[in-house]
Amino acid sequence: MATVQVCEAEKVYILHGIRDDLRVDGRGCEDYRHMEIETDVVSNTDGSAKVTLGHTAVLVGIKAEIGKPRPMVPDEGYLEFFVDCSANATPEFEGRGGEELGMELSTTLYKVFNNKHSVDLKSLCITAAEHCWVLYVDVLLLQCDGNLYDAISIAIKAALFNTKIPRVHISVDEEGGKEIELSDDPYDCMRLDVTNVPCIVTLCKVGHRHVVDATLQEKACSVASLIISVTQKGTITCVRKVGGGSLDPESIFEMTEAGKRVGKALHAPLIKLLQQEESLGKKRQKVGFLG
Amino acid sequence: MLKSKTFVKKTRSGGVMKIVREHYLRDDIWCGSEACTICKQESTVLEKDACSDSTICPYPHYLIPDTNVVLHQIDVLEDPVIRNVIILQTVLQEVRHRSAPIYKRLKDIIHEKEKHFYTFTNEHHRDTFIEREPGESANDRNDRAIRTSADWYGQHLKTAGPDGLKVVLLTNDQGNKQKAEESGLLVHRFEEYIKSLIAHPELVDRLALSNDDKNEITSSKVLFPEHLPLSRIQAGIKAGSFLQGTFRASRDNYLEATVFIQGESEDGTEVLIQGLQNLNRAVHQDVVALQLLPRNQWVAPSSVVLQDEGAAKDDNGDEEDEGKVLISTAETARKPTGKVVGIIKRNWRPFCGMLNVSQIKESTRHLFTPADRRIPRIRIETRQASTLAGQRIMVAIDGWPKDSRYPNGHFVRSLGNAGEKDTEQEVLLLEHDVPHQAFSQAVLSYLPKMPWAITPEDMEKREDLRNLTVCSVDPPGCTDIDDALHCRELENGNLEVGVHIADVSHFIRPGNALDREAANRGTTVYLCGKRIDMVPELLSSNLCSLQSTVDRLAFSCIWEMTHEAEILKTRFTKSVINSKASLTYAEAQMRIDDTTKNDSITKNLRGLNKLAKILKRRRIEKGALTLSSLEVRFHMDSETHDPIDLQTKELQETNSMVEEFMLLANISVAQKIYDEFSECALLRKHPAPPPSNYDILMKAAKSKHVDIHTDSAKALADSLDVARVDGFPYFNTLLRILATRCMMQAVYFCSGMDSDFHHYGLASPIYTHFTSPIRRYADIIVHRLLAVAIGADSTYPDLMDKQKQSALCNNLNYRHKMAQYAQRSSVAFHTQLFFKNRGILNEEGFVLFVRKNAIIVLIPKFGLEGTVFFDSKDKTGPKLVFDEEGPTLMVEQHTFHIFDKVKVTISLDDTNIQHQKIRMSLIHPVIPGVSVSASDIEPQTKKPRLDH
Repeated sequence: MATVQVCEAEKVYILHGIRDDLRVDGRGCEDYRHMEIETDVVSNTDGSAKVTLGHTAVLVGIKAEIGKPRPMVPDEGYLEFFVDCSANATPEFEGRGGEELGMELSTTLYKVFNNKHSVDLKSLCITAAEHCWVLYVDVLLLQCDGNLYDAISIAIKAALFNTKIPRVHISVDEEGGKEIELSDDPYDCMRLDVTNVPCIVTLCKVGHRHVVDATLQEKACSVASLIISVTQKGTITCVRKVGGGSLDPESIFEMTEAGKRVGKALHAPLIKLLQQEESLGKKRQKVGFLG
Repeated sequence: MLKSKTFVKKTRSGGVMKIVREHYLRDDIWCGSEACTICKQESTVLEKDACSDSTICPYPHYLIPDTNVVLHQIDVLEDPVIRNVIILQTVLQEVRHRSAPIYKRLKDIIHEKEKHFYTFTNEHHRDTFIEREPGESANDRNDRAIRTSADWYGQHLKTAGPDGLKVVLLTNDQGNKQKAEESGLLVHRFEEYIKSLIAHPELVDRLALSNDDKNEITSSKVLFPEHLPLSRIQAGIKAGSFLQGTFRASRDNYLEATVFIQGESEDGTEVLIQGLQNLNRAVHQDVVALQLLPRNQWVAPSSVVLQDEGAAKDDNGDEEDEGKVLISTAETARKPTGKVVGIIKRNWRPFCGMLNVSQIKESTRHLFTPADRRIPRIRIETRQASTLAGQRIMVAIDGWPKDSRYPNGHFVRSLGNAGEKDTEQEVLLLEHDVPHQAFSQAVLSYLPKMPWAITPEDMEKREDLRNLTVCSVDPPGCTDIDDALHCRELENGNLEVGVHIADVSHFIRPGNALDREAANRGTTVYLCGKRIDMVPELLSSNLCSLQSTVDRLAFSCIWEMTHEAEILKTRFTKSVINSKASLTYAEAQMRIDDTTKNDSITKNLRGLNKLAKILKRRRIEKGALTLSSLEVRFHMDSETHDPIDLQTKELQETNSMVEEFMLLANISVAQKIYDEFSECALLRKHPAPPPSNYDILMKAAKSKHVDIHTDSAKALADSLDVARVDGFPYFNTLLRILATRCMMQAVYFCSGMDSDFHHYGLASPIYTHFTSPIRRYADIIVHRLLAVAIGADSTYPDLMDKQKQSALCNNLNYRHKMAQYAQRSSVAFHTQLFFKNRGILNEEGFVLFVRKNAIIVLIPKFGLEGTVFFDSKDKTGPKLVFDEEGPTLMVEQHTFHIFDKVKVTISLDDTNIQHQKIRMSLIHPVIPGVSVSASDIEPQTKKPRLDH
């Protein structure tokens, strides 16, 4: 993970500010930085989204492919995650530098998203025990400026919202052989229900308080963070502690409560924004990567 | 401007892939009209003054046909009357996707300058490109694209062109037409437009029937079972419940066909199909899917000769008896029987034939009878029936609905009056797929420039054999002389014999247009009075032809032999020769026989003749077969080119002399190229026929108490030699004719693809064709191989590629077969012409085959075969008893056996001009009610003087 060097005086300054609910960039403790979202940015995926949060930028692409359901859950499809830490994001990722972080991120994402409470996995099943849709979620880190989890989760939710899976029909001939037939209309596709898809809120313990959407400097002042995935309704689906330090039970409780609150407040405008963008249809001006 | 096109595709492994293509739009695509003042185009295609004499579009206009119009009405679009047409890219792409042959024809039209067909790349034009809307099918999108382009053209020409120039959209789609009208476009149905061209009523006939037209014609009664969709056929074939094969209709019986299944086993099986229902609208050469019937429904092929003679309006006529004809008898003769369940690939081409004019006077629907009996009759619509009657025409099939007895088709073009020689020749060339167009400019460009002479470089690489006394012996009138011979005594007492073959491969270099054309034609086709050359005349009759007294390039095969014809040494060399004489067989024979002549040519010939006799004897001892087929030769009138006499070909000793040395050369070359290139030598084999082929021969011989042994070629040859019956001198020839019919076809093959090289008929372990490169392409390849083998020429990749070699062999075999058929048809036609001039003749003949309801009679004098039918459709026939074991046929009291001598009258049956045929009726033996009395008109007694 990208790190910055922060001197003691700076640390004290940041710490004291947070104690007074005033952060270096002027935000309150539970405020996010400026966020930009654009969907359908990569045309050869089935769904994609680009999110920038402060200077953090991530790109998520989703490809749907036909695969075989997992034997334990024959009537469900599944998701697979891959996080690519590009060396564009930070020189530390060069070579195999980003691998460990990538692994860590993708395992977390798998835990958060690949369950039937988050995504309707049953709708991804084509024929039980034979064919299902597998969603390959590829995350590309374009720039790291802290709070990767939140940015990635928002991008994934937006990309899932944007995903269009071609509708298929199964025809059965008299010998019992099954044949997958595609509709020839490119508009004939299935959309995913993203109502229950959670967002991740990372809370950073800085001094005695905790902040949302920590910058790299703030992160440097913290010893531990709590990753909480929250659904629209405020249900917590996953909690994970990252970082070297420890958290006492009381502050964990406080932090989850704060996470719930922030998460709930994050979902509503996000969905609204996505629907607004969708309704523009073809008239929408695409920004892309150079805009 | 960049757009992207997105579509989803299923991959072969069953996955689904999203594919995105970039699509660029431009603003520099011009309209192609001469009248346009805006577009900055360099050259224009569409004329300014685009007037047709259409009554519904009296103003100048361009036509924009939609995809279906192009697909179905290409025959009309090809007509020179249709000009100034805009072919949209959308249409072009769709046509290409749906039908490759039509796409090719469309491209050809576009390239033709006089047609003024312009391709407008509307898919890349900024103003005419459209994207598919949600809920819109691909077809609807394309229709919309066509409408958008038509609209654009309309607007564009209004602003940029002169007044009154319009575009007319042609579509047969009701929905499309309505939408176009709504958006204010000029739109017509294609039929409407063509019918409005009052100056060209003949175009109407070429219209293909569209779907709604068909419904009017046919009764609603469903005559045939539905064809299965392709997906189910494929699944069925995969599962093994259906079989796939090529449909071959029977020539003699229109209710019977066989399907050859290319199975895993090498030989492939043959499945019989009987009855109209089971044939289920399959047409000769279609690739079909079929289902085997349960074993208890298997039948034997019938030996009845049945021709579809129904009247024009017999849609609901006699299918009762057609449905369940022929319940077959003998258990042993039963063959696997099946029914057609679907068509995998139609192999329709335009068919030659004639119109059966409907009896109803005003009717515009007529039946068309193809010249090929294996093709069913086709219903077409025409208003020029009276003109077309008596003409040979071409018709294309449009479709065969399940409620129609006959397929529907449309008129393509007329070939000329039936019975005229040129017309008939054209018909038989077309029917036998013989490429007979004049050589293209590209092909001719590879000919050597005239005047041509042998260059010093050529001389350097070649052996100079001009001092040898070489001469050629050929049939009279031969201009493509490809072989010459010499024979001389060496100082050591042995003989040197040379076979010199025209060096065609020197002129035809691998891979160029000339070579490709020759490879495609495969062989020169000889018809009566006409030759269709494989290579341009400059080569075939001049530069390659080994004419006398001129220097010619040759490929020589030279042996050193003892006087007993034992080969001591063989060598091959490229050479230059100068033939001293080109003789005919008869001339050569006369020289040999004339003891007073003692010049070097004659001595040469005598030497050759002596050796040839030894060679022949030795070959026959080894078991080579001498078979017989009657070949007919016409004496043509020098002015009218009508046959005035006909006789069977006579063979002279010199024929066999030349043949013997050619065989020897072929065998020597075959051995040489096989030794050198064991994987890619082009050879010729003649497989031994399966024993069952001889059944008919054995049965026939047995009826005369003669035994024929068929265990080996040698045994067969020997038993044929001793087969004689007292008082029946012609018996032996008849037996040999029958034996010939038992044989397999000899074929070319690539040595790397086969292991059995044996030539059964010649009793040679290896054989090829080397001696006629002017008229056979196989020989050219053999020449190239041999030239590489002796280091006289360089090789090229295709020559050493056994797959390509094998594909070439397939084409050559096909062309040879077709050439043979064409030749036979030509002879048959000339025979008819001959009998037309002769009136009625009474001749003696022999029964060659016995069928269930007919006997086939051979007239040795004319080498003519004909069928005497004993039943007819309209009246009750005589009592017939057919015995398959004999085979014999009892007609009333008289029993016919094979070889029976009969007397028949021969006449030309031209009452039905559709199918002129030689009719034979029985005179002797006299069977009351069956035989006819000898006609009084005796043939002309005085024969006209012959030309030669």
